[in-house]
Amino acid sequence: MIQQEIPGKPITVTINGKEYRANEGEILLSVAIREKIEIPHLCYEASLDPYGACRLCMVEVVRKGKREMATSCTLRAADGLEVLTDTPEIVKHRSILFELYLAEAPKSDVIRDMAARYGVTRTRFLKRIEQGDPLGNKCVLCGLCVRACSEIMGAGAINFINRGPYTVVNTPYYAPSRDCFGCGACVRVCPTNAIEMEDAGAERVMKSWSGTRVPLSPCECCGRYYAPRELSASVLARLDTPLKEEIARLCPECRGKHIAREEILAKHGGSAKHA
Amino acid sequence: MRIVSAADMEKVSRSGLRKIRPEKPRIAVGLATCGIAVGGMRVYDRIKEIIGEENPDIELARVGCIGYCREEPLVNITIPGKPLVILHRVTPGDAEEIVRAVEKGEVPVEKALCRIPLWDHITGCTQEYGAGFDGIPRYEDVPFFSHQKKVILRNSGLINPEQIDEYIAIGGYAAALKALSGMAPEAIIDEVEKSGLRGRGGAGFPTGLKWRIARNAEGDRKFVICNADEGDPGAYMNRNEMESDPHMVLEGMLIGAYAIGVSEGLIYIRAEYPLAIRRLQTAIGQAREYGLLGKDIFGTGFSFDIGIATGAGAFVCGESTALVASIEGRTGRPHPRPPRLTDPGGGLFGYPTDLNNVESWCNIPVIISKGSEWYAGIGAKGNSGTKVFSLVGKVDRVGLVEVPLGTSLNTIVFTIGNGGAGNKKVKAVQTGGPSGGCIPARLFDTPVDYESLNRIGSIMGSGGIVVMDEDTDMVDIARYFINFAASESCGKCVPCREGLKHTLLILNKILAKKATKKDLEILSDLTETIVATSLCGLGQTAPNPVLTTLAYFRDEYDALVNP
Repeated sequence: MIQQEIPGKPITVTINGKEYRANEGEILLSVAIREKIEIPHLCYEASLDPYGACRLCMVEVVRKGKREMATSCTLRAADGLEVLTDTPEIVKHRSILFELYLAEAPKSDVIRDMAARYGVTRTRFLKRIEQGDPLGNKCVLCGLCVRACSEIMGAGAINFINRGPYTVVNTPYYAPSRDCFGCGACVRVCPTNAIEMEDAGAERVMKSWSGTRVPLSPCECCGRYYAPRELSASVLARLDTPLKEEIARLCPECRGKHIAREEILAKHGGSAKHA
Repeated sequence: MRIVSAADMEKVSRSGLRKIRPEKPRIAVGLATCGIAVGGMRVYDRIKEIIGEENPDIELARVGCIGYCREEPLVNITIPGKPLVILHRVTPGDAEEIVRAVEKGEVPVEKALCRIPLWDHITGCTQEYGAGFDGIPRYEDVPFFSHQKKVILRNSGLINPEQIDEYIAIGGYAAALKALSGMAPEAIIDEVEKSGLRGRGGAGFPTGLKWRIARNAEGDRKFVICNADEGDPGAYMNRNEMESDPHMVLEGMLIGAYAIGVSEGLIYIRAEYPLAIRRLQTAIGQAREYGLLGKDIFGTGFSFDIGIATGAGAFVCGESTALVASIEGRTGRPHPRPPRLTDPGGGLFGYPTDLNNVESWCNIPVIISKGSEWYAGIGAKGNSGTKVFSLVGKVDRVGLVEVPLGTSLNTIVFTIGNGGAGNKKVKAVQTGGPSGGCIPARLFDTPVDYESLNRIGSIMGSGGIVVMDEDTDMVDIARYFINFAASESCGKCVPCREGLKHTLLILNKILAKKATKKDLEILSDLTETIVATSLCGLGQTAPNPVLTTLAYFRDEYDALVNP
């Protein structure tokens, strides 16, 4: 589970010879992101536990004159920590990793653009193209969707299946999931836009997840389907706001109008007409 | 009955001794998995049948394995007052003759491998079997045994692993009694540190230091775990240790738990070792009955118990963080370290955890019993003690070989193993399983210790030594190990999951004679990146078979590729 981290004491870290302020124990990659120092990464998300799978964010740590490679998403800032992000060693290995990604997710524009930014425009490895891949040959198995589903949503609707080169992400037994809320967190965190989701009438279809279908609730005012039913129910159960009633019944658009109308009614005593 | 004192121990010991050296002759069949696989159980059943029909005054027992796999099935004959005689290559057809001979106080000499008049079990008991049978070679004159030093396999093949009394009779649990009732935990850790024992799982981390870190870790609940997820192809040292002498593992864990201050222990063992699991379960049950596990052990107030967790068939679960995940019921995927298992939050269910290999635990009773000085006197500087190796592949004398660390590969492969099987020339050995490297015969004067093997691109690993002869295709060997590592990769990080897959594809291309020099370049770049960027030890070491064959047998690659 996500724990609110208490910021450590202020310290100084050195990235590429320049000093930056950071909090002790802070993840080095997040310091770099804040300071706009470019380090490529695919599996890092600030709200999730460090994972260290994509290996793209590797940097060289300088300790007592010696250099050692480490993933910056698992490296914790400590006073005097010194790292280099673009040494010949890093560039060499990163290029090979990009070549592996280009072969693994040949249909991903995101990977193609990212690799190109680091000078890798082609791969020497055999490209994996699988007909009918539910993730459109774009998945790099960074695990963000799996972790968001379980760590943030607590649903655990999807997970890794098989191991090694046969690993894929999907629902258990490739069956439509009963645990999926249809929240779309997986879609949002996916760095390669591999996951497909579509709203069709009264249902949300998780196209990548074995055709999982999730019922949507209609807006009582305009009739449009706007939120996954189960998700709304579970969110509402935890909400404590005077607007609870409106949220349960109306889509965001109608809710805005409704609230505006209520306000006007309260001020002018009934002169507003329904729009 | 509960054992609480030396006097209780003595009583059990006498009962055990009557089993090992009964007043009547005893026939004991070597029934570890290896012996059973070559028909040991049939031999046992046939002898049992004859004894059942004729009711001669003979005891029949099961023992573990002394390690000479090539000569199995092995049968021990103990005639009161005479040396223990080991018969080899015994078939059910020999049963009749064996029983007849034993009835007369004799042994079938033509079936005899060797005789043991005297055996030092090291943990405080020297067994004097007796004199006679001078026509049979002595144990120490058998070339396979003469250069070995049995410290870990001190009891294997000589006692019944399903009888705790026999273990106690040869000095078992005496070290635990000594430790728990007479030594401070810190003093035990000091002893283990001074002994110089290093982790036998392969990485060679000092065991005493690991214990100290675990002892000092914050937390009121902690675990000790025995890593019995042995999975290197061709390696079966741990299996035999557990099948032949399970109490030695339990005793080691008991002493360690007391030293670290832990009351909960687990053995994580692969499901592919059903006999080892069964014997451990039996051993745990017997130890509990005697109060050697459970509450208030030896009346000292210290409590400790051991449970068994079985794996589900993944090699990577031998890696510490994946192992813990597997026990917790999660998928066996490693996570970056730190946090290490000994760190708060990093161990089993988040509690600080000490994890040691089976063979590391096996050394503990000896270190406590004989003292660190005695132990440190074995082996080489910085590499004390012995190590059990499984000498397999195209070698003449296949088996488990226990030698002091620092023994050369020459001694292991040629003196003990008698070189290639069928008089073939030995070309190389692979040490350390899929994480190890192929070492060419010209480097066989290398002493087998952690550092020397690293220097030539291989690793000690858990102790597998696979011999290759002149007919072995080294590129194919590399492919074999890469195929193993690729299919055992957990799939979490890219270099291991994708990198090993492509390494395998390139090796296939080379072996199909469809590769060019360019492919060799790609192969070497790719494997370097896998080593440098993989998340856990599996990926970081998996390319070693390719890197070493490229370094030492480049000509075999060159012969297969087009220009």
